[in-house]
Amino acid sequence: MSASWHSLLVRIGERCPEYGGLADAEEHVETCFGYLARDLSHNESEILALLMQCVEELPHKDPLYGALVGLINTEDREFVGKVVNRTHAGVQEALDTDNCNKLRILTRFLTVLMCNSVVSPTSLIELYESLVSSAATTVDEETGNPAWQARADFYVFCILASLPWGGIELSERVPEELERVLNGIEAYLNLRKPVVYSALQVFEESEKLVEVGDDTEMKLPESEDYLENLWSSIQALMENSWKVDSVPRPHLSFESRFVNSQTHDFDPVLIPDNPKAPENATEITLGRQRQEAERTYPRRNMRLRIFPSSKTDEKITPIDRFVVEEYLLDVLFYLNGCRKECAAYMVGLPVPFRYEYIMAETVFSQLLLLPKPPFRLIYYTVVMVDLCKALPGAFPAVVAGAVRALFKRVAEMDVECRIRLVQWLSHHLSNFQFVWPWEEWAHILDLPKWAPERVFAKEVLEKEVRLAYWEKVKDSVTSTPRLMELLPPKNTPVYVYAPENRGSVPEAETTLATEFTNLVRGKKTVREIQVWIDERILPTQGQQASIQIVAQTLLYIGSKSFTHTVTVLEKYGQIFRKIAPDQTSQILMIDTVSQLWRNSAQMTAIVIDRMMGYRMVSNLSIVAWVFSPQNVQQFHTSDQVWEIIRNAINKTNNRTVDLRKEIAAAEKALKLATAGTAKAYTKWEAAVAALKAAEAKSEDNRNALSAKVDWAKTVADKAQDEETSAQDSLESKEALLARALREQEALFMAVYQSFADLLTDRLSKSVPESHGAPNPMEDTKGEDADAQAPVAMEPDEENIEEDGTKQKNQEDVINGTTTLFADAQEEEQWRKCTLGYLRAISRQYCDEVWLLMEKLDSTVFTDKVHPLVLSTTYAGLQRSS
Amino acid sequence: MARLFKNPDQLSAYRDRRFLGSQDEFEHALRTSTTVYVGNLSFYTTEEQIYEVFSRTGELKKIIMGLDKNSKTPCGFCFVLFYTREDTEDAVKYISGTILDDRPIRVDFDWGFQEGRQWGRGRSGGQVRDEYRTDYDPDILNCCYGKLVQKELEVRRQLVEYDQPVGMGGVQYPNLGEGGGGNEFRRGKDRHGNGGNRHREGRKRYRDEDAPPADGVKRQDRELKVEKNPRFREKGDSDEEDGGDGGKS
Repeated sequence: MSASWHSLLVRIGERCPEYGGLADAEEHVETCFGYLARDLSHNESEILALLMQCVEELPHKDPLYGALVGLINTEDREFVGKVVNRTHAGVQEALDTDNCNKLRILTRFLTVLMCNSVVSPTSLIELYESLVSSAATTVDEETGNPAWQARADFYVFCILASLPWGGIELSERVPEELERVLNGIEAYLNLRKPVVYSALQVFEESEKLVEVGDDTEMKLPESEDYLENLWSSIQALMENSWKVDSVPRPHLSFESRFVNSQTHDFDPVLIPDNPKAPENATEITLGRQRQEAERTYPRRNMRLRIFPSSKTDEKITPIDRFVVEEYLLDVLFYLNGCRKECAAYMVGLPVPFRYEYIMAETVFSQLLLLPKPPFRLIYYTVVMVDLCKALPGAFPAVVAGAVRALFKRVAEMDVECRIRLVQWLSHHLSNFQFVWPWEEWAHILDLPKWAPERVFAKEVLEKEVRLAYWEKVKDSVTSTPRLMELLPPKNTPVYVYAPENRGSVPEAETTLATEFTNLVRGKKTVREIQVWIDERILPTQGQQASIQIVAQTLLYIGSKSFTHTVTVLEKYGQIFRKIAPDQTSQILMIDTVSQLWRNSAQMTAIVIDRMMGYRMVSNLSIVAWVFSPQNVQQFHTSDQVWEIIRNAINKTNNRTVDLRKEIAAAEKALKLATAGTAKAYTKWEAAVAALKAAEAKSEDNRNALSAKVDWAKTVADKAQDEETSAQDSLESKEALLARALREQEALFMAVYQSFADLLTDRLSKSVPESHGAPNPMEDTKGEDADAQAPVAMEPDEENIEEDGTKQKNQEDVINGTTTLFADAQEEEQWRKCTLGYLRAISRQYCDEVWLLMEKLDSTVFTDKVHPLVLSTTYAGLQRSS
Repeated sequence: MARLFKNPDQLSAYRDRRFLGSQDEFEHALRTSTTVYVGNLSFYTTEEQIYEVFSRTGELKKIIMGLDKNSKTPCGFCFVLFYTREDTEDAVKYISGTILDDRPIRVDFDWGFQEGRQWGRGRSGGQVRDEYRTDYDPDILNCCYGKLVQKELEVRRQLVEYDQPVGMGGVQYPNLGEGGGGNEFRRGKDRHGNGGNRHREGRKRYRDEDAPPADGVKRQDRELKVEKNPRFREKGDSDEEDGGDGGKS
């Protein structure tokens, strides 16, 4: 029977065999209560544990669990006392450990318990008030630490977010107290600074979205501040007498039975103090604190409007929309990894209206959430696939509609979001036989090559080919043969010394390459091959040709598969490293790789990534190559170089992360080893002492003891060795970490320096004659410069003069390396895109970059840098400028 | 998270009979492993496709294709090695059941790749499973669409042959064992009880260690092993080949 209360608890409120034909949630509660009442006497602790787990992990069913607890309270007060205590302990723990989800859910559950007469309304109000007053203290300049506003906001959010579950009861039972809390919240909202997420928007101009949908109905853009937003929904809810359709209220059927229930005490909780503001706070140290607070209390979601409101919100109140989103986000969070249940719960929420459009918007909002979604992108891909399978009649069309709507706005989309959308869509389509109505997008072929819509489609097809094969993807676009133009080339390597390319390279090089190939094929040793290179290639060919002959040939030999390539790199590593020992030659090497694999963005990225892993090319060489003139001119037409630079940054960061973990483990091992040595020596000493004491005894006895001493000594020596080696291993890891950190710092310096040099040069040149299009430079000088970088643009005569001469100098230096596009619109798109990547990289690696801020400020972010570069970087880093 | 619907103790329903340790050791190996076994692949799926899919849960270290021991061509399974446990868990959690080359692939924790496990264990050289599905494969042959897919897959490109290199030739396929030192770990010894370290998988190779030791000694050592890496040990192994397939059944 034990399984029965288990599945009844978990499955309550669901259409399932456990509850047979019962349709009403109230009947479920009643049935479950019946079973539990019988089993409580012998399974109490298991039931309590499972109940609390369900409350937390299936929070969309909390009203049912609350009603169940309410019913139990009429018979077994002691058990319910334990439920209340567990809830209290949970709230306290969540406060102490910054566990956002737990705090939010348990505040909701406590509100539900209040509805079920398990706790008194006043003790709930007490919890609310302590949260509000802590929030108010935090944002107070004098007594608090406004850098931690993220936490204060979250506390207030928890209160507001629980009101749909008990606002009506509170307004009936304790109207004055409720009003006091709401007044407190209003006061807090006036006190705090509104949060501006300009760099965390999926689309550039949020007002525009509303117009673009199918119906061009104008609507006030909602506040992007999530707390303001919820506050206005709650006010609307209040005006609507707290009526919420999306929250079931099973306790109403049991109210008559609760009349005689006694409530339990819910003791006050201790709200932890805010971390103190740093002494002698500077803008950077405060910024770091704010950063930490936002990392600890991250934005859970940023509602993305994809569909016209006739499909989403029109028939429901704002608070219903909020509640449905909460349900969906909770299922996504708690059932991550349980694919079947996750999809089933998402499509079966307890709400009396259809919500598939809101569901799609919510999943897309998570997938595109900036700076990063709570889970890996592939999770949302899988969820979307599962939802399409769970609702085959409705959801695929909704997803397709979302893709169409997002595609229309792809020009305004943040570059990071665009990349994620490409990744998702290509993977999604690969799970559905690559069926997509490409003909709908045929018009993009009339757009220039750099048009964002075109780049988007091209990238999707390229990723599809990676996931399948060229012919397969080609077949998916055959309905519109013109679209073949957007397909990537067939991904075969281009070996310059192959017979068909004869004539394009000097004959001497081809001859050497053939000889070289024969040596490798003839299984000569690496040493022999190295000698041959030193004697035959290096003296006669220049560095560039030598690198090309050696790297192209070896990589071509290894081009059959990823493993073949890795094998070649491992086996001939010395040769690669010797021929390209410094940055200049490594850039040539990367270039050779990109030539060989010019038809495969994937293999180019993989080979460069592996070469960095084997330390054949440095991360700095990769950055320099990415910012080389020929690549710079493709910043707006391909994501390839961005993939490569991100790989390099990730690999560099991963090294430090791994080493930090290893050091922690090594420290632990050393501690253990030290303790082991001490213990072994103690034993040895004891053995020696025993031997001494045993002098009078028989010879046999002494021999045995002496053997024991020897043994103890061996053990002790071995322990000592282990300790030494643990010490050595720790030291070597620390040295490696120091090196990895130096490399990381150098990398970010190089990335920002490259961006700053390139963009400062480009932005200071005026865009070529534009055909009536607004000049973004004018905009910049008008707004951004004034608003965001006043230091650099002080209207002070000296400065202006300096500015002028400086600009000239820079033009001289960089002139000829990067040239503007002849087409003004293309130049503008290039600028937008490059700035977009600067923002995206700053945002993604915010944590690492904040640690280097002082150094960056003193060496890179000087007043020589174009203000737009600074403001974009700062926006990405969430740094106030 | 989501402990409600998962049995945390159930790591894999499959028990590789090649694993010679106890059940506890087997489970420990699965719990700490950074290797996954990937099954139900099309024979035509390439390493690059696998790379593209699996790199979506983290940085890959290696891919080892399961090969038919007679034809030396892929036979429907592979091992993917990650750097971190977290990435490995995500691969099992998310990628299992997704479609690759029109087939739902399965991804399981694996106790750790060893030289020899890349060969199919079926009598004909491929996977044992394929010997039961020669004329009936529910995934592929069940519908006419599936037949088309299969045909298309067949015409589209050659299977990568892993023994005789196509084209320029010359690359000896090295031992596929971790860190290149595969020879320390022969199955022959293992079968007698104590050759080699069963928990080798627990020893990660670090991203940084991709660089060779400065003195180059290890590298040369490895090359020697590469040269004489015995690829033709199948004979010795074949007497026990009728059990599972390439690691899983």
